[in-house]
Amino acid sequence: MQKKIIITGFGGQGVIMAGRIVGMAAALGDKLESSLVQSYGPESRGGACSVQVTIADRQIYYPYINVPDILVCMSQGGYDKYKDILTGDTILMIDQDLVRVSADHDFYAIPSTRFAEEMGLKMMANIIMIGFLAGITEAVSLDSAKDTVSKSVPSKTIEINLKAFDRGWEFAQATLKSRRKKASGNTGVV
Amino acid sequence: MSDYKIILFCCNWGPHAAFLNLQDRREEIPNEIKMVRIPCSGRITKALLFKAFEMGADGVILLGCESGSCRYGSGTATAMKNTTETREILALLGLGERRLRLENFLPHQSDELLAFLKGFVAGIKEIGKSPIFATGSLWEDRKEPETPEEIIAAHDVYSCQDCGKCTSACPLALAGKPFSPRAVANDIIAGRADTKEVIASVNACLTCGVCYERCPSAVNFPEFIKDMRAYYRRRNMTTEPAHGGFFQSMMRAMTSEGLKPDRWKNLPENIKINKNSKILFFGGCAPYFDVFFRVYLKINTSSILEDSIKLLNFFDIEPNVLEKERCCGHDLLWSGDRDNFIKLARLNLKAIEESGAEEVITACPECYHTLLNEYKHYGIELPVKITHIHEFLDKEVEKGAVGFKPLETRVSFQDSCRQSRFNNLADLPRKLIEKFAQGNIDESSARSLTNCCGNSAWTGCDSFSKAMQVQRLKQARNSGSGILITACPKCQIHLRCAMEDALRGDELKMEMMDLTTAIAKTIYWE
Repeated sequence: MQKKIIITGFGGQGVIMAGRIVGMAAALGDKLESSLVQSYGPESRGGACSVQVTIADRQIYYPYINVPDILVCMSQGGYDKYKDILTGDTILMIDQDLVRVSADHDFYAIPSTRFAEEMGLKMMANIIMIGFLAGITEAVSLDSAKDTVSKSVPSKTIEINLKAFDRGWEFAQATLKSRRKKASGNTGVV
Repeated sequence: MSDYKIILFCCNWGPHAAFLNLQDRREEIPNEIKMVRIPCSGRITKALLFKAFEMGADGVILLGCESGSCRYGSGTATAMKNTTETREILALLGLGERRLRLENFLPHQSDELLAFLKGFVAGIKEIGKSPIFATGSLWEDRKEPETPEEIIAAHDVYSCQDCGKCTSACPLALAGKPFSPRAVANDIIAGRADTKEVIASVNACLTCGVCYERCPSAVNFPEFIKDMRAYYRRRNMTTEPAHGGFFQSMMRAMTSEGLKPDRWKNLPENIKINKNSKILFFGGCAPYFDVFFRVYLKINTSSILEDSIKLLNFFDIEPNVLEKERCCGHDLLWSGDRDNFIKLARLNLKAIEESGAEEVITACPECYHTLLNEYKHYGIELPVKITHIHEFLDKEVEKGAVGFKPLETRVSFQDSCRQSRFNNLADLPRKLIEKFAQGNIDESSARSLTNCCGNSAWTGCDSFSKAMQVQRLKQARNSGSGILITACPKCQIHLRCAMEDALRGDELKMEMMDLTTAIAKTIYWE
């Protein structure tokens, strides 16, 4: 098993931190191997920001990612950069208010920034996105993700960050449920 | 001698002549039958028919005249309707339709009458004794205030500043009734609790809670009224409730443990119920209401329960229901019968405990308030979380991935007193309405709590209740709304009743829909 995850966004959205939490949750919580590479390309001068996380159940020999299994986009620029290399198997996840998907590709959308604003702290959008990522892809387990979130944020904000995580997780469950309902052909109240 | 009790209501004319003939001939009329002579079978209302069962009758017979030979014209037809509907309610209650029969006899048909009576008694013995015991009183562990003085002290009515804000906001007073919460408080403080006027006022109060909302001293007037009614009831000074007291009778009958109501029997098959679920759906009395009010109002409040369970199914929850669900006891408590309320509450506690549920969801604001607050108040601790269906829906909708089709018409909302005022949940239904109304909501109901629907706990319905209902419906219609969204089955019944006014024709008619039904109609997975 190997999962290659790229998370992209603007500097300041907490993209790197999101990557760190996912990687640490996999390594420390789920006892897997993980590696993380911060983007050092020219985009880090232009406000764009990305992180590459690999999770595997064996040793990771090469930490760079050419074709991701999971691509999380919290900004339009991040999406535009990677959209051409997406394969049919890549799970694409976006902040629906910040990214417009232009190619014919299935994707999972969440208004993570809006949710964070509703909860009163815009900078929690990344935590909401981690909840969403964990819920949709199961790349990391629920318990270890929550555990790592609470160890990574300032102690005063643990409670609200866990709430933010749950918001994303529950939205993921609702999204998956909605897809199941659509597949069964029943979207209304029977 | 057997201890079966069968009440025979016997019309003065045709059947009584036949009955007399049997007595003259010294025929052996079964001992179990107690005959009550009545002027006409049409005069025995559903409430009177049921009262006999409440008092422990094992069977009831109503005898009238053959169709066409009724001395008063419409007696036979009325008796047919009353009997049919009461039989349906008996079936829902699990008593069985066979315990009530209507038969018609002409004076010369004594032999047929005797055969019928013997057959009926044999039939009742086949079914067995009624599980209902005559309802009595319950005097154990009483901690409640009993005298007017104690009741005044318990609710600190002395702190009334005589400002009159209650009266100026009271919907009854605004409808023109000579009624004033302040005056009631003053009268009782002054020791006039037992006067006819005060008793009538205490009975007339809607207990809607507007006065409490306005009171600068926070005197909880509805609670005060509740205890005063219990005081009157214990001293046998209560006024007759509305609808002949049918519903109170029915609820008292439900305090008998042996009764096994079958009130879910008409649940549609596509609704998914799971006996092992940790979530219990508590329905409430809607199925009984629908039978009782069918002829005049054509209401369908059972659909509220069905749509609620469908919505739970929509969110992948298959709830359990109490097979023998009883009334929560709200109306007994609020019409003063605390003893039987507590009996019912204990039975409900037992049933809920046995179901293994961890959470009870209900769509009825009265059940919600009663299970959540009143049970605790009277020392009955339910080991479950009580959730209003609106709370559940709000939580699930917030999780995302569901959308709403707009309703395409302006919407008005009718607040339920038990939900919006007693439990401060007025914002919740408005938030949910906004999903499908999308801004197109009548301003007055969007902004503030709407007026009472005219009654509560089946007490004190009069022309002023009607005036309030007319006013409320006019307000809703004048706002340009095409639909009135309600949150309580009783609001629907009361407002529908006002719409039925023949003299006003279609002037007050408008579509009404419960909020859960509106959501069930519009929600979909995105």
